[in-house]
Amino acid sequence: MEGVLARATTHALVGLEARSIEVEAHLQRGVPAFAIVGLPDKGVQEAKERVRSGIASAELEWPMRRITVNLAPADLRKEGSGFDLPIALAILAASQQIPFDTLAEHAALGELALDGRIRPVPGAIVAAEAARRVGLRKLLCAAESAPEAALAGVEPIPVRHLAEAGAYLRGRHEPEPVAEPPPYAGPPLPDLREVRGQERARRALEIAAAGRHNLLLGGPPGTGKTMLARRLPGILPPLTRAEALEVTRIHSVAGALPAGQPLVEHPPFRAPHHTASTPAIVGGGPGPRPGEATLAHCGVLLLDELGEFPRPSLEALRQPLEDGSVAIARIGGRHVFPARFVLVGTMNLCPCGARGDPAAECSCSPGRIAAYREKLSRALLDRFDLVVTVPRARSREVAGAGGEPSSAVAERVVAADVRLRDRPPPIGEPSRVVLARAIDALGLSARGHARVSRVAVTIGALAGAHEVEPEHMAEALSYRSPSELAVAA
Amino acid sequence: MTYGVLRRGGAGYPPLLAQLHDPPPRLYLRGEQAGVLERPAVAVVGARSCSAYGAHVARTLGRELAGEGVVVVSGLARGVDAEAHRGALDSGGTTVAVLGCGIDRDYPARHAELARRIVAGGGLVVSEYEAGVEPAPWRFPARNRVIAGLALATVVVEARERSGALITADFALELGRDVFAVPGEITAALSSGTNRLIRQGAAPLLGPDDVFSALGLAPARRPPADLTDVAARVLNVLADAPSGQDEVVRATGLAASAVAAALVELELAGLAAEAEGVHRATRVPERAA
Repeated sequence: MEGVLARATTHALVGLEARSIEVEAHLQRGVPAFAIVGLPDKGVQEAKERVRSGIASAELEWPMRRITVNLAPADLRKEGSGFDLPIALAILAASQQIPFDTLAEHAALGELALDGRIRPVPGAIVAAEAARRVGLRKLLCAAESAPEAALAGVEPIPVRHLAEAGAYLRGRHEPEPVAEPPPYAGPPLPDLREVRGQERARRALEIAAAGRHNLLLGGPPGTGKTMLARRLPGILPPLTRAEALEVTRIHSVAGALPAGQPLVEHPPFRAPHHTASTPAIVGGGPGPRPGEATLAHCGVLLLDELGEFPRPSLEALRQPLEDGSVAIARIGGRHVFPARFVLVGTMNLCPCGARGDPAAECSCSPGRIAAYREKLSRALLDRFDLVVTVPRARSREVAGAGGEPSSAVAERVVAADVRLRDRPPPIGEPSRVVLARAIDALGLSARGHARVSRVAVTIGALAGAHEVEPEHMAEALSYRSPSELAVAA
Repeated sequence: MTYGVLRRGGAGYPPLLAQLHDPPPRLYLRGEQAGVLERPAVAVVGARSCSAYGAHVARTLGRELAGEGVVVVSGLARGVDAEAHRGALDSGGTTVAVLGCGIDRDYPARHAELARRIVAGGGLVVSEYEAGVEPAPWRFPARNRVIAGLALATVVVEARERSGALITADFALELGRDVFAVPGEITAALSSGTNRLIRQGAAPLLGPDDVFSALGLAPARRPPADLTDVAARVLNVLADAPSGQDEVVRATGLAASAVAAALVELELAGLAAEAEGVHRATRVPERAA
């Protein structure tokens, strides 16, 4: 016998997609050696050591042959540790320790520990979907990945250890049935009930949720801007099944799925720090990875202290804000990541933060204030449909009663969301008159005009009105971007 | 580019300016309407880093004065000066900016557009310095004497203890012209200079009508606004004290949405204005006695 060849199928992540990879193991006579070819990166090269130790720990035999493993197609860069399991299985099949034909019915994905245990890797749901597309019904994967893979409609074979995988493929082990994932048991979403007073900001959150409007909260520190923003996901309409799966895919690829919660059921909330790099925010890297903007898809992206973010990061967000997606061009092709989110920004009115606070005196020079505000280009500022200044209360009076719970607000939001999709209220003639007066009296730009109209339609839908009434238009005008956030001194 | 020039003792040189003990030998002009300098004028000056209150008062004053045909004179600086010019332009009125540098310079540079609008609106940019003279701190007091000299009365909106606006007030007093100071909170450093002016005898400015009566003009007659009940209730709250929207909500018991709509209605009617989340009535409303 000159040489033996065996194959296993796995999947490599390319952006948010998985490409089918054939893992070929060829055993030849000769000096014992082990090589992996087919554009493996450093992490995949290291699979050699894990696979060797894993096979030994599983009390299987390491073939004393010249072993060549090829990952095809050979022109695609392979990254990550998910190739460990398929490589080990291909070698075991080539050395006739497991049957060829059974292995051919399965896709495999997983990282090996040195003791042969199988660890989960990111992107199981995407790999499972790709397996189904190439006609493989079963996926060998870590037990932790099984519920996630089940969402994709393949039969996951949860295996804890390489020995278990071998036994299963030889027909000596029945996999455990995959349990239904438990209902969401994570920490409760923060509730609006806990917010006292803040009537205007609460109202703005409701409008933002109903019409998916981007919201900018300005004001001195300590007035609750961030606390308010964190309560927006809790009043957004729930994700549809299709949205939930899409969000799950993204979070799976990014390795951001919480343990034991395969399906993302709630609109995600992401709040990158202002020191995050531009690729971390919009996505990037050699094998492009989704950034915070994509992780916030169908949910909320909070940029706390907007003025502290580097300008390139903010400018890079203009594309997703416009198109609802991020395109990343690479030599190997162009990757498009979905990124449709509600953007919430918070900012102080000046660098020292004292502006808008009657109890403090701002020490910023006009030049510094102008520089701080100019960080936000007009173009970015124009993406915020709703701008609300949260001033510090002048008097020490009680901040108002505890408010309505999120569930009550969410009910109105869902009703408005349905109306906006079925039949958004048209803008009536009296409202147009109000808008026309505002253009003259308040110097509203053409862009501002369009934004105010959009917000007015959402307010009309929240009110359940047949058409947008003048008071809806007037309220919408109150959220327009005020002159002080624009360039002025 | 050529600039108009008025020579001391020559035709068109403003007689009020000539009353200074050291009137500028030449006054360079940007703008066509040299006759503007012969119309009744009021200076509105104050701090560069003014508060929202100061900006609001300056803008309202500029608007109301210019709306009645009074020329608003100021120094094109940031803060109060710029707001006074903008207020005058808001009402389609005439305003004059006095520079402390060469007539060809726009200082500060970010107000180049404002200067252009002033000229386009029939106003003037003037300077005693010929083209090419750099801005320098020691020229600003000299500039202030021109501001005071051109105006029949000077209003100081906000000033710290050692503000340049107080120099303008001193020049106005030397000339025997009226000086008004806008009162502020006694705890606010930005109003310390103006409050002290009042103690020293300047007239506290309680509204644009004070200026009109000092100039011998009839107070502006404003038609009563036709307001909705909700807007009238909201205006009553603002008349007591400037308030954030949440405070108005609590004071009136109205929904946040109704308050927001009412405040826009008041703003469109010119009865209220907003800055940094705080809404103010633009004038003390006449209440039924």
